[in-house]
Amino acid sequence: MTQRATSPMILALLITTLGFATLIFAQEPKSPPLIYGAYYAGTLFVLYLGVRLILPHSDVLLLPIVTLLTGIGLVMIYRLTYDVQGAENLATTQAVWILVGSGTMFFMVVFFRNYHRLFDYKYLFALIAVILIGLTFTPLGYEVNGARLWVDLGPVGFQPSEFARIALVIFYAGYLADKRDVLAATSRSFLGIQIPALKYFGPVALVWAASLGLLVFEKDLGSSLLFFALPLLMIYAATGRIAYVLLGALLFSIGSFVTYQLFEHVQLRVQSWLDPWQDPDGAGFQILQSIFNIADGGLTGTGLGAGFAQTIPEVETDFIFSAIASELGLLGATAVLLAFLAFVYRGIKISLLAEDEASKLLAYGLTAMFAIQTLVIVGGVTKAIPLTGITLPFVSYGGSSVVGNFILTALLLVISEQAGRREEEEILYEGGP
Amino acid sequence: MNAHVRRTFYLFVAGFVALVGMLAYWQVYARESLANNPENGLQTQRAIQTPRGLILAGDGETVLARSAKRQTPGGAVYDRVYPQGEAFANVVGYWSTKYGATGIEIGENSNLSGTAEPATLDGLINQMTGGPKPGNNVVLTLDPELQRVAQEAIASSATGRGAVVAVDPRNGEILAMVSSPSFDPNNIDQTFPELARDPDSPLINRAIQSLYPPGSTFKVITASAALEAGVSPSEHFVDDGTYELPGYTVHNFQGREYGRVTFTQALVFSINAIFARIAVERIGAEDLAQMAFDFGFDDSYDDFPLPVSASTLGAPPSEWTPGTTAQSAFGQGQVSSNAFEMALVAATIANDGEMMEPRIVREIRSPDGIILDKPTPSVRHDTLDAGAARTLNEMMQKVVTEGELTVAEIPGIEVAGKTGTAEAPPGAPHSWWITFAPADDPTIAVCAMVENGGRGDQAALPIADTVMEAYLKGRAG
Repeated sequence: MTQRATSPMILALLITTLGFATLIFAQEPKSPPLIYGAYYAGTLFVLYLGVRLILPHSDVLLLPIVTLLTGIGLVMIYRLTYDVQGAENLATTQAVWILVGSGTMFFMVVFFRNYHRLFDYKYLFALIAVILIGLTFTPLGYEVNGARLWVDLGPVGFQPSEFARIALVIFYAGYLADKRDVLAATSRSFLGIQIPALKYFGPVALVWAASLGLLVFEKDLGSSLLFFALPLLMIYAATGRIAYVLLGALLFSIGSFVTYQLFEHVQLRVQSWLDPWQDPDGAGFQILQSIFNIADGGLTGTGLGAGFAQTIPEVETDFIFSAIASELGLLGATAVLLAFLAFVYRGIKISLLAEDEASKLLAYGLTAMFAIQTLVIVGGVTKAIPLTGITLPFVSYGGSSVVGNFILTALLLVISEQAGRREEEEILYEGGP
Repeated sequence: MNAHVRRTFYLFVAGFVALVGMLAYWQVYARESLANNPENGLQTQRAIQTPRGLILAGDGETVLARSAKRQTPGGAVYDRVYPQGEAFANVVGYWSTKYGATGIEIGENSNLSGTAEPATLDGLINQMTGGPKPGNNVVLTLDPELQRVAQEAIASSATGRGAVVAVDPRNGEILAMVSSPSFDPNNIDQTFPELARDPDSPLINRAIQSLYPPGSTFKVITASAALEAGVSPSEHFVDDGTYELPGYTVHNFQGREYGRVTFTQALVFSINAIFARIAVERIGAEDLAQMAFDFGFDDSYDDFPLPVSASTLGAPPSEWTPGTTAQSAFGQGQVSSNAFEMALVAATIANDGEMMEPRIVREIRSPDGIILDKPTPSVRHDTLDAGAARTLNEMMQKVVTEGELTVAEIPGIEVAGKTGTAEAPPGAPHSWWITFAPADDPTIAVCAMVENGGRGDQAALPIADTVMEAYLKGRAG
């Protein structure tokens, strides 16, 4: 595990500073209270030092990646909403959410070092997840842009699915680690494919179906896709049985077909993906504006502040990657994707080095979730796959998403602490380098 | 279990690679076609949100085009304003997000729109940081007073259709270029459909884009070739009014017979039969064509910022019959040209046979006034040797003094010129006049052309004369 990342940390903060400097000094003289910037940089650096102190063996390289991604997100949100006519300033709010996320991470790093206890409450977590998603159907829930994803919590609204997914990963990891052997055992084979015993599948299938069903009725396609693929990947990782993957693919085909037939909004999404030109000012408008802006960026981009990404509806949340691709170009957008891939790589490495199976599965599940989420939304805004509303981790505007991803990172850090400690002990015993 | 984890990691990596591929497809491969898609409003939005540079006349002060700021609910946008209106419209052109751009507006677009390669450190920093890139200012060579005089003169001519080009023979600067009828480039978005339908085509710059038979003005090119072929100005020819060739007979203008005349007199009286004979018997197709090419025929002046239709001789000289050569000798048949080219022909003779590169942009300035580019005068082609050019100059002076073209005379100044009355059936002939002055040290060369204006000395000559007089008197005073 990488235990020192001071230079990457400083580099990430410098990149963010450069982004802000470009916008403030080169674009227009109006500037937000600079104290927010100082808070942001100070908090993340203190967080980094704190994590190194409390978890000396953990993989702190995750933190500069988080800093870079939140920083780029903050710069873009500032550029898209600060002092822009017809846009509400969201940059300072996002900065506050990053502070809240950092605080949450610090809290978890201090109090959840013995994360194994989480697995003892795996069924509780499953229940919490289903309740969280179900909350949107209570009078507390409300609809935004046709999807019922929000819950009113007095002063702030939050998206429960952002937290429910973490609870679900904890449940799947705990359960699959327990039942891994029986799930992997095969009782019979059909057409050369070995069919595993399905009876131990019950709890997983139940939670899976419950979370998925609720999300489908919420019309949250992005999360549905995520909640569908995640357990399949985790089961595959736990058992290595390709049969589960095939079963999943089959279910996916059936599920897609059924939802396409049942829900008009799904049909609309698929049609505007296949042929957005049919209704360029209506259903196809958002994705076409996204494509136009991405193309406008070219290889090196229009330069920060010189693009027209404001023409994309929801640009600061789901479509923030289009704005990045437009203003930073193919080179900048690829660099951002590489930062995401670096995060995924560290997560996978933590999973590989983790001590026990539950830890491995937890790290893997969290990482896979992060990866799928990134692939689904970037694929959506680049018209590689149908668009599903989901946030780009750390970059998109949104409190629930930012805090949720800080929690995800905190869990990876505590797992890596144990893995790192074990690695160090092995080296000590074996006398290796 | 680690093997399974690793395997799915490769799947994720493949996903990221695919996304980069998708981005590359949009941002590199499909970029151009998406930018030009009619549903894509980004380019228009970019264009109207950035002020374009100024277009200034040769005095560096008269504003021909500027961007005026207008506040809209969606932020500030810029409208293009043309304070000088019609007189400069065909050179300056128009700039519209609906109907595209013409003239200097498009010819110097990369400078005006600020998309040119950065030329100053400020510009470079601005580009790297994506800062605003205001357009550079373009200063033209046009003399604003002369341009107005020329526009009024041509607009009030017999048909009101034609062109005038004035050029400084010493450095190739275009002093005036007008085309009539013209148009008001202000509010082009509203007026364009009507202008485009107008049968008199006001949107066409007749000085450079149209081609007409140049008629007898072309005789100065034939005369140049004749001088080089050894014909002397005092050599005698006998004219019986016609020159017969197999399958084609040349007739003089209005069927006149001149008898025994010198070569100079043949030019003064514009005797077709003698020029046809000289072209066929003394010069030959290849040399005549080569002389025209040396004067700029068959060349669209690609470095010139406005679109120039190349003057042409039609089929290549190797395919000419003697009849073709005869007709070409007095600028009929397949020969066609325009006021721009013929003004340059006059300027070349005026400049002792040295053809200067024509220029209409004097300099490019940054918004702060720093000169970014200032093309220096350059010789385009050594068309004629100085001796032959001086001889032709004297012959062209006699066109004015001995040709009874008293109307062309300017008191105290020697003027040289040549008329053209180019047949253009079924309409009246096109009226041409090319001229330069003062003949001993020319500072201006002019070509005036009136579409279907009749005889050269009646329609075109007074127009060119007005322009030249205004210029020479302006300089003297």
